[in-house]
Amino acid sequence: MSHQPRSLALLREVLDHEVVDADDVPCGMVDDLEFAQTPSGPVVVALLVGPGAWAPRLPALLRLAAAATVGRGLVRVPWHEVTRISEVIRLGSTASALGLGRLDRKVGRWLTRLPMS
Amino acid sequence: MAQFAEIFLGILTAMGGFVEIGELMFTLNGGTRFGYQLLWVNLLGTIGIMVYCEMAGRIAAVKRRAVFSLIRERAGFGAGLLTLVASTLVNLLTCAAEVGGIALLWQLMSGTPYRVLLLLALLFLVLVVWMLSFQWIERLFGLGGLLMIVFLAALVSVGPDWGELASGFVPRWPQTSHPRDTLLYFYFAVALMSSIMLPYETYFYASGGIEDHWKPSDVGLNRAVVIVGFALGALLSVALVGLGAEFYAAKHIDPQLPGTAALAAAATFGTWGLFAALLGMFFAFGGAAIETALSAAYNLAQFAGWPWGKHKRKRDAGRFTLSWLAVFALATLIVETGVDPVSVVEYSIVFSVVVLPFTYFPVLMVAKDRRIMGDHANGWFSNALGWFYLVAITLAALAALPLFLLTHGGRG
Repeated sequence: MSHQPRSLALLREVLDHEVVDADDVPCGMVDDLEFAQTPSGPVVVALLVGPGAWAPRLPALLRLAAAATVGRGLVRVPWHEVTRISEVIRLGSTASALGLGRLDRKVGRWLTRLPMS
Repeated sequence: MAQFAEIFLGILTAMGGFVEIGELMFTLNGGTRFGYQLLWVNLLGTIGIMVYCEMAGRIAAVKRRAVFSLIRERAGFGAGLLTLVASTLVNLLTCAAEVGGIALLWQLMSGTPYRVLLLLALLFLVLVVWMLSFQWIERLFGLGGLLMIVFLAALVSVGPDWGELASGFVPRWPQTSHPRDTLLYFYFAVALMSSIMLPYETYFYASGGIEDHWKPSDVGLNRAVVIVGFALGALLSVALVGLGAEFYAAKHIDPQLPGTAALAAAATFGTWGLFAALLGMFFAFGGAAIETALSAAYNLAQFAGWPWGKHKRKRDAGRFTLSWLAVFALATLIVETGVDPVSVVEYSIVFSVVVLPFTYFPVLMVAKDRRIMGDHANGWFSNALGWFYLVAITLAALAALPLFLLTHGGRG
């Protein structure tokens, strides 16, 4: 993804877009971005996914409520994992390899005990 | 031929699934209180839901994007989250009203205690969604809802004043004897508009298009289903207004329970009319309960980026499955408290009109964007209608709460 601009202009194209893994499985939204300062300006170094990334975007009171109900979990996806930016953000690895969608897999394992699941 | 059969089936399903408990109660009551004077709202609301479902369905067919991922992407996280919370609440309340409506209908047929029937309704709905595919759920409840055609037959049989009925489609200042009744008229107009344009219908319709694997070549199917199916569905609501005006008002019956709607069919066609009406309403309420529970789960999953869809195995869409199960359970819990399902539906309808502009604005923004939709972007006519309805529902949203308070929730 080296040809892609990694500047602040990327914010609109990536933030709040769906993240899809190498197996085409949705595995979260881009809740925030991590920037690093370089001589040519700030560049994106990672996508941040999870309540720990979106909760700080809420007003203070709601932030506390979110932390109490859904926790502060956050997964950092290094920028080099991004293979394509379109309506969705495609990643080069699977969700499980990146630590995304853990809760879905946990609930899924629990559901396998039920018939017709 | 296969394409024709698909269009025909889609149209029948859209027609049968058009009316739910909120629309049934507001159209019947509106007709009883104001005769045909509110028919123009039925027409306005039906064209509105056609315009926005067509856009949402087209986006689903062309870009495979559902409404809530667009809302978050276009409106941003804060406004998106607010819309998500509000629409989930509306879905939950509407689902609760439909579950309560099913139990009330079963009570009429069996005499079993209402609270026991609520639990049986919960069990029935969970089993249906768990076991049947999306297509079978759509067809079973959509086609079953067609039994409500008995209301149309009852109206024709009663012999309405066709001239008066036709004049109801022209908007006019209400002919009422007291200023309080004028306020009540506008409250009913806003509530009726909201009940026809309930936001879950757009969420469900677009997500359903993705569940049905629509492709860009299905844009024509989408348009036919929306225009013909919803127009025929609206005939059922016109029939309910007519029965309110010709049957209930004449007999001084105030229809406060969904079962009362069956009275007109029973009086006209006897036992089979009664059973057709009760069964038709059962399928309509059951279909709406399923659509609201699934809509809430679709919205949550699309906003948070979870795997979703009835076409997926439940284990592969864990949080989505858990979400619709939770909505059914919470909805049943609400009506188990003893709260009247019809009151619940009134709250949900007034509240939902406030959600409408937030739902429809991002849909319009994407549908008209040529960079995203290419040749399938809105033409000038769709854009004009889209903007007109956005202004209309924003005005309705602003008026909804004051009218609700001033009329004591429609009680005058």
